[in-house]
Amino acid sequence: MKKSYINIKSIVSLAIAGLLFSSCQKKLDEAFPNPNATVRVPVETLLPGIISNMGGSSAAAGSAYGTQNDGLYIGRYVQFWATNTAGNAFDQLAGAGVPGTNVDLFGSIWAMHYFGMGQNLKRMMDWAAEEKKWNYVGVGQAISAWSWLTTAEMYGDIIVREAFNPDQLVFKYDEQSLVYDTVRQICRTAITYLNNTSDNSTQSNLAIGDAYFFNGDVNKWKKFVYAVMARSFHHLSNKASYNADSVIFYGNLAMNSNADNAVMRFANTGITGTSNFFGPVRNNVNALRQTEYIANLMTGLNSRFPGAVDPRAAYIIRENPNGTYKGIRPNLGASGLPVADQPANFWGSVFTSTAAPTSDADCRYIFKNGSPFPIITASEIKFMIAEAQYRKGNKAAARAAYIDGIRLNFDMLINDYGSAVPSARAITITDRDNYLANPTVVPAANDLTLSHIMLQKYIALYGHGIQETWTDLRRFHYTDIEAGQTTPVYADFVVPTGINLYINNNGKLPYRARPRFNSEYLYNVAELNRLGALALDYHTVEQWFSKP
Amino acid sequence: MQQIAVYETNTVVMRKLAYVWRIAFLLFFLVMKVSAQDITVTGNVSDLEKGSPLESVSIRVVGKSTATKTDARGNFTIKAAKGQVLLITSLGYETQRVGVKDDQKMIVRLKAESSELEDVVVVAMDQKRKPRELGYSTQQVKGAELQETQRDNFVNSLQGRVAGLTVNPTSGTVGASSQIVLRGFNSLSLSNQPLFVVDGVIMDNSSFDETSDGGRSVGLASDRPNRGSDYTNRISDLNPNDIENVTVLKGPEATALYGSQASSGAIVITTRKAKTSKLAVQYDNSFRVQVLNRFPPMFDGYTNGTNNQPSNIFRYFGPAYPSGTRLYDNIGAFFRNGKSQTHNLGVDFGIKKSIFRFSASYLKQEGVVPNNDQEKINLSLRNTTKIGKWIEITPSIAYTRTNTAKVLRSAGGYLIGLMQFPNTVDVSKFEDDGGNKLPLFSANANAEVDNPLWNVQNNRGRDQTDRLFTSLGINLNPTSWLSITGRFGYDTYKTIGYQNYHPQSFFVTTALRGSQDNFWNTYKGYNHTINATAKKTFGDFSVRAMAGTMWQDYRTEVYAVSGNNVADPNRTDSNNTAPNTRVRLLRNNYGEPNLRVIRQIAYFGELALSYKNLLFFNYSHRFESASTLPAANRNYNYPGLSLSAIMTDILPGLKKGGVLNYWKLRGSMANTARLNSAYSTQSVFVNNFGSANGPAYSYGFTNNNADLKPERQSTYEIGTEFKFFKNRLSVDATYYNTLTKGQIVENFRLSYATGFVLNTQNAASTRNEGVEIAIDYQVTQKKDFGWNVRLNFNKMWNAVVAFPPNVSEFYISDTWLYGNARASILGVGSPTTGIASYGYARNNAGQILINPSTGLPSSDNVFKLRGDRNPAFSLGIQNSFRYKNWRLSFLWDLKIGGDIFNATK
Repeated sequence: MKKSYINIKSIVSLAIAGLLFSSCQKKLDEAFPNPNATVRVPVETLLPGIISNMGGSSAAAGSAYGTQNDGLYIGRYVQFWATNTAGNAFDQLAGAGVPGTNVDLFGSIWAMHYFGMGQNLKRMMDWAAEEKKWNYVGVGQAISAWSWLTTAEMYGDIIVREAFNPDQLVFKYDEQSLVYDTVRQICRTAITYLNNTSDNSTQSNLAIGDAYFFNGDVNKWKKFVYAVMARSFHHLSNKASYNADSVIFYGNLAMNSNADNAVMRFANTGITGTSNFFGPVRNNVNALRQTEYIANLMTGLNSRFPGAVDPRAAYIIRENPNGTYKGIRPNLGASGLPVADQPANFWGSVFTSTAAPTSDADCRYIFKNGSPFPIITASEIKFMIAEAQYRKGNKAAARAAYIDGIRLNFDMLINDYGSAVPSARAITITDRDNYLANPTVVPAANDLTLSHIMLQKYIALYGHGIQETWTDLRRFHYTDIEAGQTTPVYADFVVPTGINLYINNNGKLPYRARPRFNSEYLYNVAELNRLGALALDYHTVEQWFSKP
Repeated sequence: MQQIAVYETNTVVMRKLAYVWRIAFLLFFLVMKVSAQDITVTGNVSDLEKGSPLESVSIRVVGKSTATKTDARGNFTIKAAKGQVLLITSLGYETQRVGVKDDQKMIVRLKAESSELEDVVVVAMDQKRKPRELGYSTQQVKGAELQETQRDNFVNSLQGRVAGLTVNPTSGTVGASSQIVLRGFNSLSLSNQPLFVVDGVIMDNSSFDETSDGGRSVGLASDRPNRGSDYTNRISDLNPNDIENVTVLKGPEATALYGSQASSGAIVITTRKAKTSKLAVQYDNSFRVQVLNRFPPMFDGYTNGTNNQPSNIFRYFGPAYPSGTRLYDNIGAFFRNGKSQTHNLGVDFGIKKSIFRFSASYLKQEGVVPNNDQEKINLSLRNTTKIGKWIEITPSIAYTRTNTAKVLRSAGGYLIGLMQFPNTVDVSKFEDDGGNKLPLFSANANAEVDNPLWNVQNNRGRDQTDRLFTSLGINLNPTSWLSITGRFGYDTYKTIGYQNYHPQSFFVTTALRGSQDNFWNTYKGYNHTINATAKKTFGDFSVRAMAGTMWQDYRTEVYAVSGNNVADPNRTDSNNTAPNTRVRLLRNNYGEPNLRVIRQIAYFGELALSYKNLLFFNYSHRFESASTLPAANRNYNYPGLSLSAIMTDILPGLKKGGVLNYWKLRGSMANTARLNSAYSTQSVFVNNFGSANGPAYSYGFTNNNADLKPERQSTYEIGTEFKFFKNRLSVDATYYNTLTKGQIVENFRLSYATGFVLNTQNAASTRNEGVEIAIDYQVTQKKDFGWNVRLNFNKMWNAVVAFPPNVSEFYISDTWLYGNARASILGVGSPTTGIASYGYARNNAGQILINPSTGLPSSDNVFKLRGDRNPAFSLGIQNSFRYKNWRLSFLWDLKIGGDIFNATK
């Protein structure tokens, strides 16, 4: 009897002790979260900022992170545009962020990836997984894959393995090759999540977060993932391991129609954050003017497309007072053009004007406040497939994809970018088909060259596919000539030389950007030293991806 | 630059004036005793050899439960019948039995038990220990000693009385806060202040924080650095007159039992309890006048201007004053004589085994700075009740109201204004008949430095605190070998305050039209400690085992509002500002207070072994969980170890010759943790303005690190104690060494690869070492006259031993007050007490560059290490004289070396 009494007593005491302990732990848990500010937000409210960060962010913690801000400078490298006055260092292909300068130019993609995406993306995926919103996890992976690839091809070697560890002081850089493996792995995970439509993975819920991107359509997100996958294979075209079949395979799974295009859209409510980075509200392209190179491509003056006047000119570039299309050359300001030949700026004002107009009524294309801004287009995918097929020797298939690429670009302009285009110059289907019927533009399969493909891709990506175009140019080392051809792939592309080439380039062309100054050149110097990134011509060192 | 060359801020000047040149008048001291009509025995107990009165000696009637204790003067009163025997016991003394003969005064002389004189020491958890068994140094200060100093903030009176204890009052104004640091600075970002424990219960000593991190934490709505107004450290609410004894636990032992909150040591306070159940009333008072009479040397004799050219600026490098220029004594006109009066009432009474002490104090002070006043009321009631044979409960309740009228400090303060003010203008004429600020040079009142008198009258601040501190002690002694104690405390206060800037003040723009902050700060703290101790002796060995638990729950709630465009400069309510300019703390916008809740649970155990009362070994271990840490890092634990050996008992031959009579060697080591501040593990979201249907967010710049771990601190200390010539001379020397690893460093930049721009990490390590020597010498000890000298010597070294190599300078921005100087860490090897500042620009030959247009040296505009605040050593010298019932004691507190930045030069 007595024994059992003791047992009951000890059990009761243990139970009470256990209860007390667990209630204490519960009270500790209750006191842990910050009651005064938001430490957890719905995943639906995180995605919009992540998306806006792909172009040019705007938040209480930092703005102008993204591809568009760095695109202002890379766009000069690829001669989409040049500066309206002579002597701009980036027209001269200079790099930025040299030790001691304290400038973060060319560092916006770095900030986009490591801070803008960074923990936001990580948290969104963690919390979405907790809440069984698998589509948000998949979208997070998709954007993550795109961001890794974009960042790696901007800077070369980057921090991969040690990234996003908030406990670390200095971070080791990884070989660029690691990124390609990482990106493909993330892409595969992304597809798995995007395929999971169970639990809370509804279209309507995803649409809260990506209202200004794919509006909840996971199929479009999957195509976006395949597009990133295709890019990751295609960018290694110079390597013996280049696998054209993979490019074609994933290209075919990626976006095929303009409706599937990955496009940032803008609420355009008149404030910075909801406006396109290239529109007048954000006032970033005021000193940029179209180049002679794009103008010549449009007006039949490029030796690859002699006489082929491109009706897309009225959409993507601007007329001059004469009503014709001319452009400037890098580092030469107006380049000696008579005033009447000087192109209007991208907002439709005269060449010399650098003021942002209060109304964007005269702005066209991606230069309006509310213009959609493409991240990856079906047209780009077609050109990728065309190049892959071409490299495989399937010239007929290459030609078919090439035609698709041009047509899709025409259609996109017709459908989305007709605003402020003079009605007389609006493209009709007939115009488009006439252009495609021009054998100078679309030759017979056997006469098709890489140059055709790359130049039409250049036109199709004009203004928005800035980083992709730079990747292409770097794959062809700006001036490579296809075997058996006599003119360079980028026909007539004149790279600055002599006094037009920045002195620190030591006669070389840019192949990479320096990591963000205020992140790396102040706080991660040891690794930069190891990489040789303190050299004044570090930006001319060719990246791994374009090497054989 | 300025007319006067003074030290850094008002702090030093005022403190010295207040410390050294305070004239205190103790007008009368009265002890009145009202005894009941029963047959009583009164008596006095003193030390046989020294003749000094013995306090807290237990007097018990043999065979009865009647008992009492002696007071500070050794006096006691007890009911007893003739023929009964009184048992007189005191720790460290041989017990005496004295028969009651008649009702004459009984004089008892106790003989010290052994050759050493031993007091008991109250250590952690309200437990009493003999000094010989302690493996660490403790120092005690008697409450009476503190009360005699007549400081309103008793913390200030500890300065110089304890080796290794540094008190830094922020200024000499009334109600100024004081920082107290034991054994120097260990933590770079977190608090270095010790824990305050009153009767076994933790009492809050925080100061209100003006920073609210963008409205996210508990501070002012205007979210400003802590440079404008001062908020007293709240332990000053404790009535110094209620203090019986203070034990200072400086090192590892405090943390071993009190845990992370005591990682910077603990100040253990025992309050005065009733001595007897007889009605006893004590009343005393003091009146004090404070006269400033020592001022720093000043650069004077030149008119406003630069480069020998007169101009209307507050610099005095113009031409010399023409002869016959009338110069005013503006400093004399500004300061007034400080006055204060204190009234203390104490009443002891009791009913059978339940005895009470009621105390009440009233303090009224007028500071030397006009408009700086304080009024304080303390009421307390403490009870000790014995229930049956083995239960004792000690409930207490203390109420304090403090009301302080404050003046601005630092760069916006009166002192800088006073130093800048031209001597050619009478400072006392500061406003016109319409009440407007009188201009000196500028028609725009806001463009001109505030006349200091105008400043203290028109930029006003006040706060009022009502505090209730309640505690309950329960002691259970069911058997001779087991005791269970519980200490339960609830501590709450509410502070209501405001600070305003007059519309015409220099510190606001004309367009702002004045500004005002109002705040309502409520603190509620509950904590309890429960432990059980078992003791057993096996032959020469005795064992004591203790296990316990501690729970702490602290909650701070703040409502705050800040606004501009004040309607009436004389009003101070929050409706005084224009509604559209008002800013509130984040949760205040929803009608709820901003919160800070910190909770912690701990379990601990201690095992003490002793051999023949001459070797002592102690091991303790504490397990904690704290709410400030994420669940994964929340549980941590640490050990403590100490050893004490009484060499004179181990080797009795040492005592031969009568020189050395006691020698002890001791050593201890312990680890502890220091907690991060609440919510610093959680990064918060800010608005994202990108296109979205509905709200959008992204992380702010700051990495509030989710993986943060507590700082880890390990300390070892070795020490020795000698007593010579029958205790006339005693020497206590200690060396300690503290290594703090994984220090939490906040808001520093790193690679964005962390995922953030600004970071919080366990990133640095510091080492802090020191030597403490306390010497006590009884020069003369006669029955009627005694002279005692006590020296407290302290020397510290500190250095940063690990710091992120990629962070060139880290500083706490609140220290960046004036003249571009701030407390900075500049990498490995730099002191933790460094001052970084701009310096003079120099050419390659090292010569100072002078700006030809101003004639003044040019600044190099680079923050470099220019000084170290850590003094070479500090020394407290205390002399006490006793003549019959009169006592005179005085204290010199010396700090030799250590840099002070002079920003006015």
